[in-house]
Amino acid sequence: MSRATTNPGGSADRPPDQQPMIVLEGVSKTYPGHLTPAVAEVDLAVARGSIVMLVGPSGCGKTTTLKMMNRLIEPTTGRILLDGEDVTKVNADQLRRRIGYVIQQVGLFPHFTVGQNIGVVPRMLGWERRRIRQRIDELLELVGLPPGEFRDRYPRQLSGGQQQRVGVARALAADPPVMLMDEPFGAIDPITRERLHDQFLEIQRTVRKTICFVTHDLQEAIKLGDHIAIFAAGGRIAQYDTPEMILSRPANDFVREFVGSGAAVRRLHLIALSTLALDKIATGSSATAGAHPVIEVDGSGRPVAWIRVPGVDGSPALATVPLSGSVYDAVDAMLDAHSSAVAVVDGDGRAVGALRWEALVGELQMRGRHR
Amino acid sequence: MPDLTRLPPVVARRRAGVRSHADLLSTPIIVLLGGAAVALWVSTRKLDDIETRALQPSAILSDLGQHLILTAYSTFFVIVIAVPLGILLSRQGARRIRNVVLAVSGFAQALPPYGVLVLIAFAPAPFGFNPFSVIAGLVAAALLPVLRNTVVGLRQVDPALIEAARGMGMSARATLFRVELPLAVPVMMAGIRVALVLNVGTAVLATFVGGGGLGSLIVRAQTLNRPIVLVTAGAIVAALALMVDWLAGVAERLVRARTS
Ligand SMILES: Nc1ncnc2c1ncn2[C@@H]1O[C@H](COP(=O)(O)OP(=O)(O)O)[C@@H](O)[C@H]1O
Ligand SMILES: [Mg+2]
Repeated sequence: MSRATTNPGGSADRPPDQQPMIVLEGVSKTYPGHLTPAVAEVDLAVARGSIVMLVGPSGCGKTTTLKMMNRLIEPTTGRILLDGEDVTKVNADQLRRRIGYVIQQVGLFPHFTVGQNIGVVPRMLGWERRRIRQRIDELLELVGLPPGEFRDRYPRQLSGGQQQRVGVARALAADPPVMLMDEPFGAIDPITRERLHDQFLEIQRTVRKTICFVTHDLQEAIKLGDHIAIFAAGGRIAQYDTPEMILSRPANDFVREFVGSGAAVRRLHLIALSTLALDKIATGSSATAGAHPVIEVDGSGRPVAWIRVPGVDGSPALATVPLSGSVYDAVDAMLDAHSSAVAVVDGDGRAVGALRWEALVGELQMRGRHR
Repeated sequence: MPDLTRLPPVVARRRAGVRSHADLLSTPIIVLLGGAAVALWVSTRKLDDIETRALQPSAILSDLGQHLILTAYSTFFVIVIAVPLGILLSRQGARRIRNVVLAVSGFAQALPPYGVLVLIAFAPAPFGFNPFSVIAGLVAAALLPVLRNTVVGLRQVDPALIEAARGMGMSARATLFRVELPLAVPVMMAGIRVALVLNVGTAVLATFVGGGGLGSLIVRAQTLNRPIVLVTAGAIVAALALMVDWLAGVAERLVRARTS
């Protein structure tokens, strides 16, 4: 995912696939009977295939901004371009069939089965029955719900997390290039939410949609976003930038305060374990001499216990973290196990390396100096 | 003015434990036992000429037929008028007029049905002492339960569902027919059931304004001063009301099972 550009909007002479997918130009919304605008003069450009997170305290106009993109709310002033086309000029119902929409309350139709819920937009678009059915199964696979088991269930027979996954599948049904998501995981317990986040990023790697995602949770924004737009009261964007820049170079006092004191810890989310030089580990029960940590593994290569970790007296408690995680996850695992080392495992649970506290701090110092 | 759509919907009868359907058997059993008892009593009595003539099956069946036709027509017109009106009143734009209409129809509901019938019978043509007036009166008297339950049933649909539907590109009309109405049907059915039972009962008064029906049988029984005819007539009216309510209850439960 492209984290490179800080301003993904821009000039019209770019090649078409680099033109932003969504552009807001001076968009304002003043609700009837209100004196002040809910959204004021917002400019925003969202690059094709990227995730932009709209973050900010509640009531600052995030939902209003999102709903203007699919014209559930009509802007008072300004222009909104979708793939270069002014959305206010097209039929609203047809526009919305090209934009996936996911809301916190999910809104699955209780009198439709899971399959029928997912098939709503394809049916409106006049797809053949067989194609709809195939698509339903394909999407259920994608969101990790076995079609045979879930297709014919009713929404009330699903857990909250499962319902939200069906909501995402429903929004993806007609393969829209753009997805709008309004606090989709807001009502989900933290553990399930973590899992849904990972799955969401996984899905995005395969579908590559242009996504606008509203949240009031900065943590979620940092984890999921390629770019973050921080909204301030009065419906203004206080800063629009990459997560790194938001955390390390807040543009103003509002952002500094919103990011708060935990910025350094939050930045750990942004360092993927796969980008670190991990300690090699020796496996087996033999206490082979050398500088590498030694770990005992079971028959399929999964770690069982530390045998020896250089620089640590005795053998510390075993903590593991997946290679797909971040330094934040690694530190979290170490603190949780009161251990100064963590074993990094691959997708099958096999140990692929180790991260020691000392080495990590050294690495972070290096990175800090280079910035 | 209080928000009348916040009132609980009209429900004919509340039963705990919808899961078990055994209670559905009680009404038909009571009707059968009661009918058998009356039939037995009548058959063991020696009837005189007048009683025999009054209890002729053909006469009773003709009154019953008229009664059912009055009930069917009036309920049909209640639905045809109140459901579309309720849909209109449930729309966002009708917020102001909604409460006014519900209040006025609530006031109309409070008038005694007999008074309504008589008023309509004395109104100029096409009203008068005829079945048309009867049906108009019955419709006026039974409109509110269906109207209010249609409004309440539609207003209680979760706004998130409507937002999801519109957000996916469903037109307002498709959202109404595919999401809102199916989810409101159980509540609407409860209102229709109340209207139906109301109409079966009120149609007894039709005979006083030239409408016929089972009321004629009762009036005949009274003028003849024959208790056996009166008891038979009363039993038939009671059995009919119970069975109509029962059938509507079964239908209500069927749609409820399908949509929730
Ligand atoms: N339909 C509406 N009518 C009037 N005011 C509204 C409406 N929707 C939102 N608002 C107001 O607009 C402001 C922004 O709301 P919203 O976009 O929902 O904020 P957020 O999603 O950031 O919490 C709030 O002050 C809210 O009260
Ligand atoms: Mg919101």
